[in-house]
Parts: sequence; C-alpha cells; structure tokens
Amino acid sequence: MSHEIFMPALSSTMTEGKIVEWLKNPGDKVERGESVLVVESDKADMDVESFQDGYLAAVLMPAGSTAPVGETIGLIVENEDEIASVQEQNKGNQPEVSSSDQLELVSNKTEEKPVVQSEIVEKKEKEVVLMSEKAALSFNSDQINAATSNVSSRVIASPRAKKLASQLGVDLAKVHGSGPHGRIQADDILKANGQPVSIPWIGEGGSPSSIPGVNLGVESKPEVSGNSFGNPGETVQFNTLQKAVNKNMESSLDVPCFRVGYSINTDKLDNFYKKVKQNGVTMTALLVKAVAKTLKKHPQVNSSFSENGISYPENINIAVAVAMEDGGLITPVLKEPCNTDLFELSREWKDLVKRSRSKQLEPDEYSTGTFTLSNLGMFGVDRFDAILPPGTGAILAIASSKPTVVANSDGSISVKKIMQVNLTADHRVIYGADGASFLKDLSSLIEDEPETLVS
Amino acid sequence: MVNRTAIIKQPDKISSFNDVYKLQKEHQEALISDNSNPDFIWIGEHHLCYTLGRGSNYDNLLFSLNDDNYDVFRIDRGGEVTCHMPGQLVTYLVLDLKNFNKDLNWYLRKIEEIIIKILGIFNIDCHSREGFTGVWIGNKKIASIGIGCKRWITINGFSINFDCELENFKKIVPCGIENCLMANMIDYNKNLNIQELKRIVKKIIQEEFNFDFVSK
Repeated sequence: MSHEIFMPALSSTMTEGKIVEWLKNPGDKVERGESVLVVESDKADMDVESFQDGYLAAVLMPAGSTAPVGETIGLIVENEDEIASVQEQNKGNQPEVSSSDQLELVSNKTEEKPVVQSEIVEKKEKEVVLMSEKAALSFNSDQINAATSNVSSRVIASPRAKKLASQLGVDLAKVHGSGPHGRIQADDILKANGQPVSIPWIGEGGSPSSIPGVNLGVESKPEVSGNSFGNPGETVQFNTLQKAVNKNMESSLDVPCFRVGYSINTDKLDNFYKKVKQNGVTMTALLVKAVAKTLKKHPQVNSSFSENGISYPENINIAVAVAMEDGGLITPVLKEPCNTDLFELSREWKDLVKRSRSKQLEPDEYSTGTFTLSNLGMFGVDRFDAILPPGTGAILAIASSKPTVVANSDGSISVKKIMQVNLTADHRVIYGADGASFLKDLSSLIEDEPETLVS
Repeated sequence: MVNRTAIIKQPDKISSFNDVYKLQKEHQEALISDNSNPDFIWIGEHHLCYTLGRGSNYDNLLFSLNDDNYDVFRIDRGGEVTCHMPGQLVTYLVLDLKNFNKDLNWYLRKIEEIIIKILGIFNIDCHSREGFTGVWIGNKKIASIGIGCKRWITINGFSINFDCELENFKKIVPCGIENCLMANMIDYNKNLNIQELKRIVKKIIQEEFNFDFVSK
C-alpha cells in the first residue's frame, strides 16, 4: 500500500510551502526518519521525513513548485514491487518539466564572465508557452556555442538535468549538451529520452524583455525553422481555427480603430519578477494583473460597442493571444484577475496554456475576454499593432523591453529598460484621451509599484 | 517555559565557517537522536565567505563560482545568498522548538524581536519589515536571518553587521533583494565595541529562551 507525503505546516499561519529540493528520487529506498525533501517558507526551511521504511514511489510536485499545506506531494510504498503500479496510477500527476535550471556549482573553467553566463541561464529559464514541436531547432545557436567551445571531458549538467536523468534512467555521458559550453540541460535529457520538448514561440517570455544583442536570434529561430504549413508551390486549406481567425480579422475592418502608444520603464518590474518567479509567477500573470488593475480605474477602456450603445461588461476578463503550432491562434481568458492573487493567477495561466495546447479549453475559457493582450516581447520586436478582436473595445500590443538611453527630466542621461506598448481601440466607444490616461496609469503602476501586483 | 540547558560557545578568534557548520550539524543530530541533549548556541565571527540556502538562486552571486578568491557554501537554511566576514557578529541557535513553539514563523519573528531588543540596548532604532525577514534601519538592512530545521531542531540563525566591510555585499544580491542597502551598527553609534555586543547577544538570548548556559 502507498503512504502519502503531505505538504507540512511549518507554522500556524502558513498556507502554502515551496518545495526546495527532493533529496530522494522515485524508486529510492527511504528509511523511517530519513529526510525525503526540503520545504521552504520565508527564510526558514525544513527537512520533511518519511514516516515509514519503504520506497519513494512518486514525486507529485516537482522541486521549485508551491503546494498548499496538506496537499499530497509524494507517495511512499512499503515494497519495491509496488513502485511500478503506483507510478502507473499517478502518471497524469507526475510533475511537468520546468525549465528553470539552476546554475551549477561546479562549472566549466572556460566559461565566460558570470554576468554573461547568467543571462544565458535566464534565457533558458524562460518559462512558457508553447506550442512548437519543431522547437528543437530553436537552440541552434547554443549548439554552435557548444561545438565551438572548449568542452572538458567531465560531464557538466544542470542539477535539474541530473535529477531528470536519474528519474528517467538516461545516461548523462551519452547526452549531447545544448547549454553554454556543452552543459547538459533538462531539455537535452528529454530529447535523449524521446520526449518532445516544447519551446515557446509566442505567448510569454520569462521577462518582458528579450535578451539584448547577440542572443536575440535564438528566440526567433522557429520562424526560420518552418512556421509554414505547406510546401513551396502548394495551397493549403485553412483549418477551422484559421478560418475563425480570418472571420474575426475581416470583421475588424468595419471597426474604426485608433492606436496610442507608451514607453514604460520596466526596471522595477524586472526586479520584482526576479523575486517572485521562484514562486511560480509568470510574466504573463504579472502583465495581466497590471492591466486588470488599471482597467478597474478605467472602465471605459473595458467597454465595447453594441447596437444599443456602449456596453460595460460586469467583469474584467483578460484574454491573452497564444499562437497554435498548427496554425491559428487562441485567446485563453484569465477571469477577474483583480480578485485572484498573483500566485493563483500564474497557476491558472499555466493550466490554461497546458489545456489550450491539448485543445481542451471550454468555450467560456477563450471567448469571454473583455480586453486582450498580445505579447511579442520574446521576439525582440520594438513595437507592433494588434488587430482588435470582435466584441471587445481594446487590445494591448506588448513589445520587447530593451536597454535604452533615456534623457531624464533633470537633463541627465541614463540607460533604462524600456518596453513599448501600443493600444488599439474602437473609437466609437473609447476615445484618445481614455486610451492615453489608461496607458499613463498602467505605466505608473508598472514603473513605480510593481510589488502591489501581488494581490 | 521550562529552563533548558544550552551549551554556549563564544570563541574570540575568527572561526572557519565550515568547522562551525559541522559543529552545528553534530549538535542537531545529537538532539534528534536524544532530545534530552542540551541546545547549542554559538556566537562569533567568520572569515569572508558566502553562503546559499538550499533553494537559493545562483543568479544572485555576481562572481564566478570558479573564482578561488571566494569561499561559497551551500547550507541547510532557507533564504537567498548572504555574506559573512570579520566585523559581523554571527549567532547560531541549535534548539529544539518542541520545547518552545513548533512554528517556524513564530521563531523567525522571535529572532527579529531579539535583534531589535539587542540593538535597542545600544540605542539603535530598527524595525522588521513585513515580507522581508531580517532587521532594518530605514531601508538599510542591519541583520539577516536564515534558518534550517529538521524534526523541529533548528540550525543556523542570524548575523548582525557591526563594523564589517559592506563592499563585500556588492558581490552578491543580498537575500535576493535587488539594490538592497546594508548598514553597520557602528554607523549609528560610534562608541561601540563588538565584545560588548557579544555579551548583550548572549544575555538577551539567555533571557528570551530561558536558558541555563553551560560551556560544556
């Protein structure tokens, strides 16, 4: 029989805890009283022990994730022969592979300056959406990097990769590392194990910014790798989703739209994001939260045109455009972000993305948006226009945040991360001044008090 | 609260981080195997070193791990990277929370209270900040906290910056807080010496946890 390991309460006020590390891998023998994992809350961490002798059969929540107190996070069985059946039963609950590899303690002597190194890691950490199985190609430049670098004979792998390798039974020595200087990443283990690696090409970056300079090419590779649904000379029929998008795009031609843009300094937002991303917070959730909070103060920008007049929705529901691998796009909706804390919102978003990938969204999960976000920041674009989806009054196009030389009001010059956003709105219901004051408030929220986005 | 016996160690010389860490682990294991063993308190200073908690993000180290000039340890505690060095008073408490309160939040807040009390004795006005464990003077951090726990036996503790070289913190993102400013006690009260601080730390810990100190 199997025994559950629960997320313990480290204090009377704790509602959830973060799993810092699994000290045992599935299949490992554990003794009563032996530490199985480490849980952290605030500045305190605690070893969680096994209450019986047996084997760790399943890890239900991966390291780095957060679980409510009392949640089952792992399973222990008494006999070795029970492991397989418990693992089989819990297959669907096995952790998704997070790509947040940590920088490894022992690193290659030939590595570059730490600053550069952490940028590369950060890029790898870009959690995200979706939806390209062709993604393997997107790491080309890293592979080149690996090929040209002076790779030592020692196996260098991220802790996450090592853990995965041990979980999946992959021999590290036989894996080709795609990371800096041939370092083996979690994705390489998955590839070696024959599992598809999903890499985003739209949706969400790990930061509103893309990486400046040389790294930029990596993210945009998928287009080169064939974001094309047919072969040269062929005409391919639209699929259902593409047809639906076409219809929406055509109907936008009847809407008299205007555009208004704003440049937002994201230095504080980036710092705040660095702090909270360990708790599973995604950049999409942060941006959605900021937009929803600002819409609350600007109901006009949340309104839409109807035959009877200006229609003010009861809720603020933010739709986020996500491109589909096989063509078309979908707009999963985060409902009432103002009433959901940032962590829950991030979980909801991850769930929506996962289910949109497998086309399991219910209609009300993609058709109830009152305002839309489209983020192409991860491609490094300066700015772009979005097309207004029917039934809504406005859509915000979010571009990349880039280090920019800025002239300050006191005459000094400094370099700040600047992100351009561009609002497209239906002028029948939203006027220039509405859009502009919305952007002004959104900008001050992001620039001055991103920490208020927590709740 | 019952009186507990605690072994206290207060070396005058600067101590190696690793040796003291091992000592803490030994006392923690001893308490786990037999909870009638005494608690253990260590008050002293370390040579320059950087420590990371088990969940720490290496991005917060701003130097290369290959750099032999820096000693880096990954240890059993929560929180992000911090830095120890001469001029910073470090206090470790290996104690059995089952005798006090099985609540790590209570324990963290208790340590903050103790630090605020200690600094108050030196007429330094400081405070805690919700969501940012540690003790602060305005927006500057004067004391850092990081603890680990196994079967409610704690390990590690807190550090107070007395007159240490704060430049060393610029090699890291202290506690993972970007642009975190640090402060020294000496900046707020010139007439201090670290021996007096050690004496007060010992006294307040003894009072707050009701310890009978033995030196073993």
